[in-house]
Amino acid sequence: MWLRRLSTDRVERHSSKPVETFVVVASVQSAQRIVALTDGAARLGLKAGMGLADARAMYPKLPVVEADPEADRQLLEGIADWCDCYTPLIGLDPPDGLLLDVTGCAHLFGGETALARDLVRRLAQQGLRARAAVADTVGCAWGLARYGKQGIVPAGESKAAMLSLPIAGLRVDAGIVADLKTSGLTCVADLMSRPRAPFAARFGRELLFRLDQALGHIDEPISPRQPLPAAMAEQRFADPIAREADVLGTIEKLASQLVTVLDRRGEGGRLFQVALFRADGAVHRLELGTGSPLRDPPRIRKLFEERLAVLGDACDPGFGYDTVRLSALVTERTDPMQTGLGGDDHAEELAHLIDRLGARFGLRRVTRIVPQDTHIPEYAVAAVPAHAVRTATTPLPFIEQDTLAPAQPLRLFERPQPIDVTAEVPDGPPVQFQWRRTKYRVIHAEGPERVAMEWWRDDRGSELTRDYFRVESFQGARMWLYREGLYGREVARPHWYLHGLFA
Amino acid sequence: MGSTAPTLNRLRQSLAGIDPSLKPALPGCGREVGLDPAIDAALGGGLSCGALHEVAPSGPGYLGAASGFALALASIASGQRREVLWIGTDYAGTEGGRPYGPGLDLFGVASAKLVVLRVPKPVDALWAMEEALRCRALSCVIAELTGEGTVADLTATRRLSLAAREGASARTSGFGLLIRHNATAVPSAAATRWSIAPALSRPDAYGGLGRVRFDLSLRKNRCGPVGRWIIEWDHHEHIFLPALPVGVAQAVVDRSGRAPLVQTG
Repeated sequence: MWLRRLSTDRVERHSSKPVETFVVVASVQSAQRIVALTDGAARLGLKAGMGLADARAMYPKLPVVEADPEADRQLLEGIADWCDCYTPLIGLDPPDGLLLDVTGCAHLFGGETALARDLVRRLAQQGLRARAAVADTVGCAWGLARYGKQGIVPAGESKAAMLSLPIAGLRVDAGIVADLKTSGLTCVADLMSRPRAPFAARFGRELLFRLDQALGHIDEPISPRQPLPAAMAEQRFADPIAREADVLGTIEKLASQLVTVLDRRGEGGRLFQVALFRADGAVHRLELGTGSPLRDPPRIRKLFEERLAVLGDACDPGFGYDTVRLSALVTERTDPMQTGLGGDDHAEELAHLIDRLGARFGLRRVTRIVPQDTHIPEYAVAAVPAHAVRTATTPLPFIEQDTLAPAQPLRLFERPQPIDVTAEVPDGPPVQFQWRRTKYRVIHAEGPERVAMEWWRDDRGSELTRDYFRVESFQGARMWLYREGLYGREVARPHWYLHGLFA
Repeated sequence: MGSTAPTLNRLRQSLAGIDPSLKPALPGCGREVGLDPAIDAALGGGLSCGALHEVAPSGPGYLGAASGFALALASIASGQRREVLWIGTDYAGTEGGRPYGPGLDLFGVASAKLVVLRVPKPVDALWAMEEALRCRALSCVIAELTGEGTVADLTATRRLSLAAREGASARTSGFGLLIRHNATAVPSAAATRWSIAPALSRPDAYGGLGRVRFDLSLRKNRCGPVGRWIIEWDHHEHIFLPALPVGVAQAVVDRSGRAPLVQTG
């Protein structure tokens, strides 16, 4: 599909009063040149590539707009998102083209002709002038959309359709086109009626490569913008829906369709996406992952309900959604399980709760504690997202202890808190310390427990040895303090920190 | 198996009609978390599951003790299979530290059975707690709020209590513990409100630190008297042990409903 007036259409869509004739200019090789123009300007005899000075000489009052390639690109991506309601496989063809693979989708719209007409008509309603062509190959459709007269080429007839196209329709450099023109070769038929070897020798690989692509001798894949879903279901509405309950109801209905497909494959979804196509062309996409393969429509609905609740205004329905699509982006094999007679499936219920909390707050915020192979307290455990940890984690190696008080604190500060400590030098236990403007006098202290830093990870050798003390204050509060650095050997004046709280 | 619980409940109800002191803590919930015979008596059999309980440190620097008490309750309440959810705001984590795996294991709460949720705002913590209390796979839900936790007002705590009761069934519990970083006078619908301070421990034979001691003040009790006790936590056996009583007068309570003392000997 070719959006032949993309830049000017963009400007026109945003201007308050219609201007028939204007041009868009940009600096090309240190000169202001026309890069896009309206139909009205084209009728005046102006052309893309012409210098602005020349155009002004012809029409002194010609309105001019500065080019904005970034905005053009964004518009193109927006259109690509919207085209998603025709087919999931869409490739960008910058600066002003889109490639849609409609294989297997066309019949849903009443055939290729109807699809192309519908696409062009709906884009025109939004003020975008487009030309669509359907052909067997990307190259052929590209050429036909820009230079051809015929929109739809039936299967197997692309070669015949190509014959009348000009050489420029092969996606080759303007230089090659000009050279061929001087040799009197203007259309594709001229190329094909002659032997290939001289062309290859004269113009290099590109020309013949493009020709072969257009004829389908060389395969040309479209790289899709969105990942292709493993399964999807969608619902269109003649009248757009805007209420949240309606959207959720639709999602549940689609989920039950989707689950039927997944069931047949013996799979469950791990990553779901809902695409909401707003009537004015905007597309909202909500994605959510789950901890275990899911194929339960009410649960899928529940998860999206959380997600919608969080998004709030970011997902404004405006005039309503006219298409809702649910796709399972990632699926995983799951075997049907016999549910217990007791009806208490704790693992599954917990997994669902974790999914729900994850949908609301982000999956990274629901974590499990996983032990790590290090003895530095702050790195000894890692918070791993709970959905990534399948079953309950391997238990931490049990530290055999016969003390009456636990040797490790219940709460650990991510950043040790600096404190003022009175302690005997060189390595006596703390006698008194002050933390958060409260003074604590120590009645019992156990330690030191020496933790040497890991020299194999410490390149600069700047990490200091720590001496940990468990202390109990006169009130009975227990805390975990440490002295950083060995007195006299590593530092002249060690600092003290509070690292954790005991019960 | 499933039909025994309603029968038991019915029997309890009819017993409560005969003797008011046997009244279950909250209607519709049969399970309790037992602490210590003396405390359980005041609570009418133990801390009731299917209810919300509030825990706050009684002074600055006692947050460790308050968390420890909550975790000890979680340790008693959690069975072999079910798990514990800890909900904390980001700020609560930086302010009071995050739950530390090895320490939890030693204390008696298996860290492998703990799910930690960090939420951005205090309101989110309440939402998550309400959601989690209804989940039967969790034996205990702990949420902590910084400061006095004023977002958990009467309405919010009533919602949580209802969710807890809804989550409680014969074999499961909606056992909710709300930790406030500072004690508060904000009214609340929680079943009990505890104020926790650490108590000086008795050192072991070699002068090392002794067992963890809690100085518990039950400030509010919806179905019984309040009181103050000192108990020890045995982290090997996962049980509370009685410690010496504190030499202070007990709060005045109405004991007219109690059975009269019987003279012996």
